Amino acid sequence: MAEVDIRKLNTWFKDNHVLKDLSLTIKENAVTAVMGPSGCGKTTLIRAINRMNEIISGSRTTGEVYINGINIYDENTNVYELRRKVGMVFQRPNPFPKSVFENVAFGPKIHKMANGKEIDKIVERSLKEAALWEEIKDRLNDSAFSLSGGQQQRLCIARALAVEPEVVLMDEPCSALDPTATTKIEALIREIGEKYTVIIVTHNLQQAARVSDFTAFLYVGKLVEYGDTKSVFENPKSELTEKYITGEFG
Amino acid sequence: MASVTKERVLFVIFGVPMVTCLLVFFWIVFVLSTGIGTLRWDLLTTSVLQGGIFEMIIGTVYLLLGAAGIAGPVGVLAAVYLVEYAPRGKFTRIIDQAINNLAGVPSIVIGLFGYTFFCRQLGLGISLAAGWLTLTLMMLPIVIRGTEEAIKLVPASFKEAALALGTTKWKATSSMTISSAAPGIITSIMLGVARVAGETAAILFTSCVLVTRGLPKSPFEPVMALAYNLFVKIVALGESPDEVFGIALVLFFIVAFFATAAISLRIHYRRRQPWLR
Repeated sequence: MAEVDIRKLNTWFKDNHVLKDLSLTIKENAVTAVMGPSGCGKTTLIRAINRMNEIISGSRTTGEVYINGINIYDENTNVYELRRKVGMVFQRPNPFPKSVFENVAFGPKIHKMANGKEIDKIVERSLKEAALWEEIKDRLNDSAFSLSGGQQQRLCIARALAVEPEVVLMDEPCSALDPTATTKIEALIREIGEKYTVIIVTHNLQQAARVSDFTAFLYVGKLVEYGDTKSVFENPKSELTEKYITGEFG
Repeated sequence: MASVTKERVLFVIFGVPMVTCLLVFFWIVFVLSTGIGTLRWDLLTTSVLQGGIFEMIIGTVYLLLGAAGIAGPVGVLAAVYLVEYAPRGKFTRIIDQAINNLAGVPSIVIGLFGYTFFCRQLGLGISLAAGWLTLTLMMLPIVIRGTEEAIKLVPASFKEAALALGTTKWKATSSMTISSAAPGIITSIMLGVARVAGETAAILFTSCVLVTRGLPKSPFEPVMALAYNLFVKIVALGESPDEVFGIALVLFFIVAFFATAAISLRIHYRRRQPWLR
């Protein structure tokens, strides 16, 4: 439930200038897809929204990102609190080497959001939100690694939702999954998008068209086009976007 | 036909080390059979003053547990620092190289250092504590290197996911990296223990005496140890090697116990870590 306002964002990794003067405003409670060819800075862009680029040595960022009007790059920002509010789902399912229950309970425990019975409720709520509860409610104590790839990814989504984020970042969440699992996750993304601000990086144009309300097209670190998904796909303003959508490059 | 010949040559080349291993195996069997003849099981629990070896066994175990108690935590923290926190630079490389060098220092030199520094300089005298610290120096490189390898095997995605949930770096490191690497860390500590279990030179002039009245009552008293007595009995007292084979056998079992414990722990934990497969 938060608007993400990016202003003049620049990111470097050592001498590599990855994001160049990027500005865009991402609408709340909607799904925004970020697409573009490999190496255009999609992942770097979403990792700038929870300041995860900082853990890579040699990275440098200038500019501002406002979430609910607060600049997350302000020196007074608590980065741990920020990352609780801005959840993230990674390209490959990466559950913790723990039980299903402990995976989801990890975040709420770290942030001391609840204890005892309340944790159980949070776990149930999160797994339901991730459309996983019915499938694994009897397997909460099993290792997360015993789940299928698609289930693991939904578990990672549940884990991110458990700490009650406002923004959910997804970095090509279906790229390591089979078509059936992808379909389920896409339906889930649509559903989550009604309650949370979802920003999803994708390589897959059809996926962007299917799941997103808005689409941003990035090319070599610059924002080329941004608008509601339908008009970006049907009447792209930029020639570059049109070429990318029609498959002339990418 | 050429490939068949090649196979045969390779078979011989790979077979030779195998035969060497067999020879070592027979040598162990020889030590065992000779030792068992001289070993009377009641001597294990009889005091040295009555001709037994009880204080030597307990002294050896004291030395090992104490050294593991110091080298374990220090080594693990050092490894975590080097892998997760240390800036990549000249200073870190020097530390890295120093650890490698420490592993290569002969134990008699470490023993001499322990004597001059821990016994004389720090005033610990010939004591259990001085022995712990000296053995720690020998264990540290093994524990640090082993822990580093174990930490590097943990997928970075665990830590990344924890950080993305808003944990601090230390919390992500301790709850994900260290706990996932725990089996490897335990194994490396066990290997360190096995390495120093039979160590004689390092405790020769830092912590051992030939006979004590009972067990040491504090870490600042000297201690008896199997390896040291074995050495002195042959070299200084001129006892025939046959008679001390019993002591050698007990020492062998202690080392074998730690090595087996290390291996079974590793097997046990590996089953629980599907991402390592």
